[in-house]
Order: sequence, then structure tokens, then C-alpha cells
Amino acid sequence: MDQIPIPTMTTGGNPEALRAEVRAWLQQNVPQGWRAALTGTGQDAFVDAQRDWFQRLVKAGYATPHWSQEWPGGGRSLAEQKVIFEYVARAAAPRLILFFVALYHAACTVMEWGSEEQKRQHLPGILEGRVWCQGFSEPNAGSDLAAVRTRAERRGDRYVINGQKTWSTLAQFADRCLLLVRTDSSGAPQAGLTYLLLDMRSKGVSVRPIEQITGDDEFAEIFFDDVEVPVSDRVGEEGQGWAVAQSTLASERGLTLVELTQRMRYSLARIAGIMRERGVVDDPALRRDLGRLIPKVHAACALADRYLLKRIEGTEVAGDASIVKLNYARTLREFTLLGQRIAGLQGQYQEPFIRGGGMETGNWPFDFMNSYNWSIAGGSDEIQRNIIAERMLGMPREPKNWTLA
Amino acid sequence: MNPELIELRDSARQVLGESGLGASEHQTWPLVLDLGWLLVAVPEDLGGLGQGLAGACAFYTEFGRRVAGAPYVPAMLAIDAICAAGRADREDWLQRLTTRDYVTTPLADGELTLTSSRPGKPRLSGTAVAVPSADKASHVLVASSDGDCVALVPLRQGGVELRERPTWDRSRRLFDLRFTGLELERDMVLASGSAAQALCRRLATHRDFALAAGAVGGAEALLDLTVDYLKTRRQFGRPLALFQALKHRCADLKAQVAAAEALLQDALQRAGEALDGAAAGAAGREARLLACSAYAHVAEEALQLHGGIGMTAEHHCHLFLKRALLDQHLGRGGNRYDLDLADALLAGA
Repeated sequence: MDQIPIPTMTTGGNPEALRAEVRAWLQQNVPQGWRAALTGTGQDAFVDAQRDWFQRLVKAGYATPHWSQEWPGGGRSLAEQKVIFEYVARAAAPRLILFFVALYHAACTVMEWGSEEQKRQHLPGILEGRVWCQGFSEPNAGSDLAAVRTRAERRGDRYVINGQKTWSTLAQFADRCLLLVRTDSSGAPQAGLTYLLLDMRSKGVSVRPIEQITGDDEFAEIFFDDVEVPVSDRVGEEGQGWAVAQSTLASERGLTLVELTQRMRYSLARIAGIMRERGVVDDPALRRDLGRLIPKVHAACALADRYLLKRIEGTEVAGDASIVKLNYARTLREFTLLGQRIAGLQGQYQEPFIRGGGMETGNWPFDFMNSYNWSIAGGSDEIQRNIIAERMLGMPREPKNWTLA
Repeated sequence: MNPELIELRDSARQVLGESGLGASEHQTWPLVLDLGWLLVAVPEDLGGLGQGLAGACAFYTEFGRRVAGAPYVPAMLAIDAICAAGRADREDWLQRLTTRDYVTTPLADGELTLTSSRPGKPRLSGTAVAVPSADKASHVLVASSDGDCVALVPLRQGGVELRERPTWDRSRRLFDLRFTGLELERDMVLASGSAAQALCRRLATHRDFALAAGAVGGAEALLDLTVDYLKTRRQFGRPLALFQALKHRCADLKAQVAAAEALLQDALQRAGEALDGAAAGAAGREARLLACSAYAHVAEEALQLHGGIGMTAEHHCHLFLKRALLDQHLGRGGNRYDLDLADALLAGA
């Protein structure tokens, strides 16, 4: 990795200079016609395209702006990171889905909690294209993450893992897994969790892609059958897994929603184009629907921007992130519903979807179904509403000791 | 918001808070004059506080929060027109308007025509609608419907017919003003031709922002009051605020109000200084549409969440509801906010 050039260091802490640089770079480097090339293809073509795009971004230093100064492309302020995400969105470039867990979740967790040995072992590999997946959710621990039941039993210098994870993004391609396991069931549910860095090639690991209602299979189940993990692959202390997992989840600091809301903003033009294509540009009902959607999309952007600013200034309060996510999920749903109304019956005839094409691909039934990723994953809308009600509005929590009447 | 504006806003919040919810025009207008609140957006070189539209909006939000009766928005619009029109005697006008006389401005678009047959003076005909507290005003600021002329019209003269039009919202007293070939003095014309068109665009944008900011304040305050009520009111042996069905509705309202507020601030930034520009116009329309929709929705839900007490006239719920209902019909005519935004997007795409 010593030979990776660091072209971006010249602009230092200047977001304005960075804008011009990123824009010019994107014009040269966004693969031409990538949407068409990934329409109706298998996962392999998608994975190849992701690796190619990842390598370009790493070379330019744009994959790791959030890493510390000593890393290529690292040491960028949050404001500069936002510039990169915004311009990538504006250029309608591919999202870096396959490497997101590695670059954000894995890297930030290892940087914050890992030993020097773990940092040496894992961080350079991420820049070389090692793929990571997240092993948090289970069939009975989705929004309620503390309910994790996958067991890890200590035997000498190893943990022996048995259980199942699910909804792990692209785990079928992963080299390593951020694995949250239960080492103790005696106390509070959060207290008995431990965090491991699992080698996915370990004996007893099997991965089964989940065939989704969209026809895509970007998530997978992971099964553990007496899988042995060296204790040296543990991050943090035994029983500290909950705290480590919170760092993992906080690692993207709102940048994802800045990117996604910006993508939604630029997709408004696509909706206008489709109205024209379909010959419904004069339909007054559709025009009204579109007109009502526009300020909601801009508000979702404004909320995501403001949240990032609060992170920069350190003025975030509990519930802020929930407001951003809930608004985005609701607005995205409306966006895809309008897309379907515009497309009409024609839109219902099945067409191949674009792999990794974002949330507003123009295949509206696909986009509509895909939008549930945002209202369910990462804390469902209902969880966000609980957080907003309890932590922002100060409404009481439900008693823990309820029983069925 | 800059520190000076935050201080100004906080003092306004405190003073308006002391007057209670839904305080009348009679109670609150003297505060506006005595405390110099009409100077907030006046440029510093004209003796104002130089806080611009963002400063004005901070105050509109506070007035909305307290459902205050003072005709602050129409007076601010008239003052903005006088500052922007750049007349030689504008400092005299500002002196009058910020300390003594009230000049009103319609909050909705009426039907007005100005005919200027040389060498005679221009004549004004038609009706200005939704003109707040016109009976207290020395003048009204009007624009012809074609946007070619903006003028200050003295109200205490023949040829002007005032008709009070009580609305459900008692926080604003609206009038229709009927003009029948009223002769205007030439020096009362603030702008004509393309200058008038630009001034009209500026005033319409300012009015949209004013409605948006007032709605954000009202929606925030009403949601707070509703949540407080749910925490206090007990049924089935527990506070209503414990029921998840109600918590989730409040959370949705909170998310909507937060979105409207964030969009308002974002739109103010996008609008910048050139308030007569197309970008500012679109930003104002967006802010107005989302904020007034959010306010109406909060008001609709708040009444249901309050239950029977909300149906009583002594409770504050209806003050907000009625203001929110009226707000949705103020601003640009023809219920076209959504269509205008779609038109702009489709024209650019």
C-alpha cells in the first residue's frame, strides 16, 4: 500500500477547492453506461464492477476520507467528506455497497477498539479490497439487537460459535465478518455480548443468500456450526460487545443519508423525464403529486445536512438521527409510489432491475419494494418513532413487566 | 442564526410569552412599536437592525408560536417594499411606519387594475382581499394584478370601501378593500414597469416565507402543548402519553415539523439576498407549502389527541387550528403552490 498515491492531500482542509477537484475526477472516472451494463445481470458482474469502482476511488483517495491522516486519502474533515458524498451523488455514480461495511463499520471499529496488532492485520487489507460483512441481526434479533442469541463458548484460547445471523449485506462475498455473539446469558441482555472479527473461511461457516421479493439477493444468512475463533480476534473485552457495536453503528455519522437524500434530489429530474417519456406531463393530478413531493425531498436533504453539521459542531441530541432517517424513509416511499403512478400499467410489466443502481432506478415496483430496506433496516420506522417520542418528546417508556391480560 | 438575532428572538419570545396565547392586536401591537420590532429587517444604513429576511422570519415564528394578534406580517411587508423601492423620501416613510402609522398589505392575491391614461393620474379599480386590520391603517400597499404597478394608497378617503370579513381565525381581522376608479397621486406609486414586477416578486416571496415561518412556530408550539397534555391526562390508570399508538402519531408530527423547519432555514439560505429572483421564489414556495401543510396536519391531529377538552372554546387548541386552516388559503392565489413547483421542475428537466 506504500505505492498508493495521495493526490488529495494538496487541497488540505478546503472544501471549496475539493469541490472542483472531485467534480473533475468524477467526470473522468465514473464508468460510462454502468447502469445499462448492470441491468439484468448476475451478482458476478456487479461484484466485478464494484471492485473496479472501489479501486479507482481508493487510488484517488476518495474511499477513505474519514480515515486518519496517516492513511492514503485520510484526515479529511467531515465537511470535506460531505463534499465527496454530495458530488458522487450528483454524478449519479455507483454506490460503494460491497465495500461499505469494510470502509466504515470494520475500519472505524478496529481503529477505535482494536489492538495495534489487529490494526496492522486488518486495515491495509481493507484498502486492498478485502470485503467485510456485518453479523449483528438474527431471526429473533432485528430491531431488538440486545436479543442476540448466537452463542460463543470459551474453550482455552478459542471461542466456539453456534447459531445464525441474517440480513448480512453481501455476506456471500465477504472475507471477514463483524460478529456480535452472546458469551453470557445471566445478566442484562446487553451485558453478555462480545464482539469478534471472524474469518469467513473458518470451518463450520456457511452462507446462504436470501432471495428477496425484488429478485435481488444482496443479503444473506450466515450459519455457524462449531466455528472456532481465536480469542485474539476479539475486539474489546468479553462482555463489551454492546459498546463496540454502538461504535460500529455510529461510524458513518450521517454521511450515508446525506448521500442518499442528495441522490433522491437529483432523481427528481429523472421523474420529470419519465413523465415526459410516458406522455403524462400534462396530467394535473400527477403534477400536483410531484409538486407536493419536491419540498419533502428538499426537506429530507436539509435535515441530513443539518444533522451532519450538528455532528461536526458536537451539538447532536438524542433523536436527531431518528428524525433524519424516518423522514428519509417516508419520503422515499412516497417517491417510489409516485413513480409507480406515473409509470402506470406499463410500469407493472416486469423488466430486469439494475444491480446496485440506488433507490430510484426508475424500475418503480422494484424501487417501491426496495424502499422497505430503509423503513425496516437499521432500526425500523417504528423504532425511530419510539426514540423520537421517548427521547425527544419525553413521553414515557412502556413498562418492562407487562403481561398479556 | 447570528448571536444578535438569537438575543432579539429570545427577548421577543419572552415578551410575547408574557402576553399569553392568542393575545389580541390591542395588546400586542404596542409591543411591536415600542420594542422596535419593525426594524428587524430594515438595512442598517437606513437605521434598521439589518437582520434581513432570516431575521424577520425568526420574529414571524415567534408570533406564530403565540398566535399573536398584532398585524406584524403586513406591516413588515409594507416596510420591505419601501426599503426596496429606493425612494428619495423613504427614510421619512420608515420613520412614520416604524413608530406611528400602520400600513397594511394584503395576505392573498386580489383582483386589481390600474389604468393610467395620460395626462391624468393612474386610477385604481378592483378588490384587495385578506387585508389585515385595514381599519387601523393609514395606507395599504397594493400591486396591480398584472404586476406593473406597486403603490401606497391612503385609506381615509372617498373611493375606498372597507368591508370587514370575519374569519374563523380570530387572531387576524381581515378586510376586503374595494376601489372604484380611485385616483392615485403619482408620488404614491412605489414602482412601475419592470421595477414593479421585480418588487411584486420580492413581496410574494417575502409573504411566502412569512407564512412558512409563522406556521412553523404555530406547529411547534401546538405539538409541544399536545404532548404536554398527553403526559398529564390520565385514563385507564395511566398517562395517555404511555400509549404507543399516540406516541407514534406525535413522533410523526415531530418529524414533519422538524422537516418544515429545516426546509425553512435551508430555503432562506438558498433565497439569499436576491429576493426577486426565481431561486428565491421557488425556495419560498417550497417553504410555504410544506410548513402550512405540516401546521394544518398538526392542528388536525392535536384536536383529536386532546379529545373533548379540545372542542371547548376556553381551551387553546382551536386558536391554532383556525389559524392553520386560514393559513392554507393565504399567499399566492389559485391553490397552485404544488403545481408551480412541478412546473418549474418540468420546465428545467
